[in-house]
Amino acid sequence: MIMSGAVAGAGAPVQVTGRGRRSSLTRSRIRAAWLFIAPSLIVVALIAGWPLARTIWFSFTDASLDALGDYAFIGLENYLAHDDGGWFGILAEPDWWHSVWNTLWFTAVSVSLETVLGMVVALILNAAFPGRGLMRAIILIPWAIPTIVSAKMWNWMLHDQFGVINDLLLRLGLIAAPVPWTANADTALWAAVMVDVWKHTSFMALLILAALQMLPQDIYEAAKVDGVSPVRVFVRVTLPLIKPALLVAVIFRSLDALRVFDLIYVLTSNAKETASMSVYARQQLVDFQEVGLGSAAATLIFLIIALVVVITLAAGRVRLGEDPR
Amino acid sequence: MKRLARAGFWLLVIAIALFALFPFYYAVVSSFRSGSDLFTIAYRPERFDLSNYVAVFERQPFGRNILNSVLVSGSVVALSLGLGITAAYAFGRIAFRGRSLLLMTILAVSMFPQVAVLAGMFELIRAFGLYNTLPGLILANLMLTLPFTVWVLTTFMRELPKEIEEAAFVDGATPWIVVRRVFLPLMAPAAVTTGLLAFIVSWNEFLFALTFTLTNERRTVPPAIALMSGSTAYELPWGTIMAGSVVVTIPIIALVLVFQRKIVAGLTAGAVKG
Amino acid sequence: MADVVLANLQKSFGRVKVVHGVDLHIGDGEFVVFVGPSGCGKSTLLRLIAGLEDITAGDLFIGGERVNDRVPAKRGIAMVFQSYALYPHMSVYDNMAFGLELAKSSKSEIDTKVREAARLLQIDALLDRKPRQLSGGQRQRVAIGRAIVRDPKVFLFDEPLSNLDAALRVQTRIEIAKLHTDTRATMIYVTHDQVEAMTLADRIVVLNAGRIEQVGTPLELYHRPANLFVAGFIGSPQMNFIPCPVAGVGPDEVTVSLPSGGTLALPLSPEGVRPGDPVTLGVRPDHVRVSGQGSFTGRVELVEELGENHLLYVDVGQGRRLTLREPGDARHAVGATVSLELDRESCHLFTQSGEALRSRADSASPAPSSPDPASRAA
Repeated sequence: MIMSGAVAGAGAPVQVTGRGRRSSLTRSRIRAAWLFIAPSLIVVALIAGWPLARTIWFSFTDASLDALGDYAFIGLENYLAHDDGGWFGILAEPDWWHSVWNTLWFTAVSVSLETVLGMVVALILNAAFPGRGLMRAIILIPWAIPTIVSAKMWNWMLHDQFGVINDLLLRLGLIAAPVPWTANADTALWAAVMVDVWKHTSFMALLILAALQMLPQDIYEAAKVDGVSPVRVFVRVTLPLIKPALLVAVIFRSLDALRVFDLIYVLTSNAKETASMSVYARQQLVDFQEVGLGSAAATLIFLIIALVVVITLAAGRVRLGEDPR
Repeated sequence: MKRLARAGFWLLVIAIALFALFPFYYAVVSSFRSGSDLFTIAYRPERFDLSNYVAVFERQPFGRNILNSVLVSGSVVALSLGLGITAAYAFGRIAFRGRSLLLMTILAVSMFPQVAVLAGMFELIRAFGLYNTLPGLILANLMLTLPFTVWVLTTFMRELPKEIEEAAFVDGATPWIVVRRVFLPLMAPAAVTTGLLAFIVSWNEFLFALTFTLTNERRTVPPAIALMSGSTAYELPWGTIMAGSVVVTIPIIALVLVFQRKIVAGLTAGAVKG
Repeated sequence: MADVVLANLQKSFGRVKVVHGVDLHIGDGEFVVFVGPSGCGKSTLLRLIAGLEDITAGDLFIGGERVNDRVPAKRGIAMVFQSYALYPHMSVYDNMAFGLELAKSSKSEIDTKVREAARLLQIDALLDRKPRQLSGGQRQRVAIGRAIVRDPKVFLFDEPLSNLDAALRVQTRIEIAKLHTDTRATMIYVTHDQVEAMTLADRIVVLNAGRIEQVGTPLELYHRPANLFVAGFIGSPQMNFIPCPVAGVGPDEVTVSLPSGGTLALPLSPEGVRPGDPVTLGVRPDHVRVSGQGSFTGRVELVEELGENHLLYVDVGQGRRLTLREPGDARHAVGATVSLELDRESCHLFTQSGEALRSRADSASPAPSSPDPASRAA
């Protein structure tokens, strides 16, 4: 050290002072930051925050769609109420629980299938072969087609009398008589899963592919030199390495599947037996004009999805803590 | 053995391609058939009968629906990018108190179930007098596109080199000039990617479009197709529906084929939305 | 033109303190180089001067004015970045004109300045190109040109040559030296390359862990390192270090016991050491000779021929190795036994705390150091 102490009298405050703490560059940048995000924040608050708050508020009222301004606070009655020896409200409604079950089943089955198939597609696209770019574009097409359009296309293909699927299966001898796929509650959800898998496998595949392409190639070369079997390499090396990306993809897909609306609404014609949570809530809200009940259902959906998000975020934090990287 | 593996590989590739493409192919084939033809199954196109295509534009304001979709999606993309790019600069490059909390909030909004805001949004749109109008739909769709636009642009913004920004500050640029003169040109490819995703999301949006419009003239394409009905209440006009589906799908397929690299980059950058 | 004064300058990132109260006076027109191992805070210090990082505490004066709270553009500085940091979407001309344009200079003034700088750097033929169409060396010239047109009082260079290949590095180094001669501007230059530091600097500032270890001219640092760190950092190959105890002290002389047996009397001021104290003997490879009856005997482990000179790595027992440099081709092969002699006049001794003992010459008159910054700061 040279000359330390020599400048003690130079008026240099050793302790941080309010004014001297930040240069005007930092100050102007922070001011700019708030100015720059303000418009987005205001818009998001207006079109997401406020409507959400109002929906939650409506869930405690008896509002109806034709007279939205005219309502009374009724507490938790939309959720659950005891009256005349019977239970009322959404939580006592078998149709609601049925829609919850439908949604959970749909989410679990379709996301699982998409993960497995997406992995297969990703592994194929990760191999070098002529036409890989074209193949990648081809699998993107189902993803880009509007859900309504895909639902209609599949509706037509699954038509009980004139549908190509029944025709194909009859020709192959797999079924004895035409199956009314979308009209039958048992098969309708399977049909919805099929369309969802058709549409979203590519999303899963592309996210997995991105993770695969970030893996260091030398690991594979080393494994090849050591003569490790490809299956073993996949299970012991590839899977653990892409697990974080895979989890992200699964979470995004699950959150998306939990709020499914378009597909089920169009494919199964708004039927009660196959309704998803979102379909049920909209039915109460718009078709039956019961804004209070519909809002209660919507609030529950929000809570369920928020719960899933919180759990995954918490789990994610724990994992991050353990991750040495 | 090696040859067998190769054959198996190509078989799988072809199977996947067939699975992906067949529904659209079948829709095209069906759209060229009309009347009682549709009650028999055809795997190959037999003739090019365009009567379904004429019908889809004649029997309902389908041209108007397409125009509505273009106007809504275009405006939504422009607004999302315009608002999102400055926000992304702030989130991506400036350390300020509360940044990560706000960014997490924005991400959380992009996971909102649409139906959770439906009642409140309905009230809001009516209060603004925007029920059954395109601006109402634009406003509602921003809820879907703005949060993820900010999120994806932020991830792209973070990748830009820090030194270029610092060089600009040494040159005397203000944050606004940095965004406008330095980062905006550099962000153009990212903006195209994000804009494409926002466009596809908005183009495909159904729940808001179904709920916040009343008349056929104000509908965008998805509810128009979903609500197409035939001459009798019992028989859906499948040929016309398929023709309409093909018409709105072709531009999307063209976009995908042209911009597939950008779309993939956008999807994987933010890992947002399906 | 201006001097730069750092008065007790401090920087913390959160709770981590990376610059611990640095005091330094850089004279007007001086070329000062900051060196140090990576993470020593040299780049942070430069960025504090540039205004790209907030000063946590202390004061910074440029040309006599306190600039702590000024934005970079208002400090009269220009900076050349390691990665060049050219605006990729602008032509070479626009890259250089951007700062002037923001400063609202007139079109003709901008044009004159840009063309003049381009001529000086011999990039006038490239003015319409985009950065991606340029080679690394050309990009670096544009980056320097962008700094020149700002007509700054102080040039700041942040490892500007580390992305260039070896030949270009030498060439650009010479050009930067020439730029300094031509403009007589104050220049502050950060590098981890000691050849750059030695060749360019009027004075070198050696930094370690956020503190200044020593400030001095290149030769001062080489011949009279203030401590063990500077001794080990400056010079390649590294100085040889031999731990040994003090055998005795006399006036202007310190005698140490060598591990190989025998003693060595060094012409150093014995201030602060007593017989029996453990010290470290330091000697540069250039000051070790093969001789008939030296202080050490050992086996040649490795020979490195460099043409104009050669390096011998000699195992002198107890796991210790001495490096020496002699002119011409090697006269000893691997495995040969050699006897080594140290040049007593050029040996250094470091106390247990790492401080160097002063040589007789130094103790007569204090080492020349930078002027007191306080007088300027006040």
